[in-house]
Amino acid sequence: MKQYIKKSAYDCTQLDDDWIILNTDNFTVTKVNEVGGYCWTLLESKQTAETIRQAVQEEYSSVDDITTEDIEQFLDELLQYGLLTHEV
Amino acid sequence: MNKTCVLIAEHYTHLKWESNWIGEFIDKYFFHATISSDWFDMKISIDDNYGKPFKDYEVDITKSSKYITFRRADYLIKATLDYKDVTIYVHDELALKHALMNVYSSYIVYHNWGLLLHSSCVLDNKKAHIFTGHSGAGKSTVAKLSSPRMLLSDEASIVKITNEGIKVFNSPFRSELEASGKERPASLATIQLLHQATNNSREVMTKSDAYLQLVNKIFYWSHSKEETKQVFNLLKVLVEQVPVYELHFQKNNAFWELIS
Repeated sequence: MKQYIKKSAYDCTQLDDDWIILNTDNFTVTKVNEVGGYCWTLLESKQTAETIRQAVQEEYSSVDDITTEDIEQFLDELLQYGLLTHEV
Repeated sequence: MNKTCVLIAEHYTHLKWESNWIGEFIDKYFFHATISSDWFDMKISIDDNYGKPFKDYEVDITKSSKYITFRRADYLIKATLDYKDVTIYVHDELALKHALMNVYSSYIVYHNWGLLLHSSCVLDNKKAHIFTGHSGAGKSTVAKLSSPRMLLSDEASIVKITNEGIKVFNSPFRSELEASGKERPASLATIQLLHQATNNSREVMTKSDAYLQLVNKIFYWSHSKEETKQVFNLLKVLVEQVPVYELHFQKNNAFWELIS
């Protein structure tokens, strides 16, 4: 299973209920929701979509229908924005 | 060599130049100030006969242990790392205007003082209101439609950002509408993101959407993680204190009924 990790220790800042990931290398910002912000903090260390899914379900009891595919899609998007790297 | 002191927002700036057209440019856009000592926030020396006419906005940035340089086809800036001592080489008036904006924006970010925002700014009841948007959205149209209200800027607003408040200063970085000299700094009440429309309406944006929309309206030439972080932090303080709205407006002054 693919493993993902932050490309760089970019800060994440909270504005009301949303989180913004601040890419200081290319001066871009990415908005994620609260759960996305929590996923971002987990990616300090290597994660798979499955380890993140489990952690999210433990942290947010209300998020019970999230699938590994949902997480994978989210991670691939962050990958496209140059925020993550992955190893197969 | 000619020299003068001008005041840009709160910053006493010593300018030095040789060619007459540079002196005329300074007289047209800047306000001379007198200062009793030899202490200045910034010292800028301006020279011409550099480069080619404007080609594009691409700026090449290099940094050594003592200096930072910004190079565009029509200007070259060599500054100490704190931007207090600067030499500018320019091709023409457009290059000079853009080079001075580049220097001033870098100075206020480095000193964590504030941001230069691509926008117009209008005074209404002693409060400042900023109008921004993508190119062609109507920033200068709104500035013209707001007459006889006073303008603090029609292109680049100088915004001082502190946890205690946000203030806008009269901007010398103007495109069409010159300052009268009577403009005074004012506290920033609102920011509008412009959309031309057939009806007037205004909705408040979430702080995160406002942040996303404003980040690319800042005049900033990114070259270091630390300074980029300062820009991000300043913008956060700004959107936390000032409401940002989407303003759909007709091409007349009726949109002011929604603001004041």
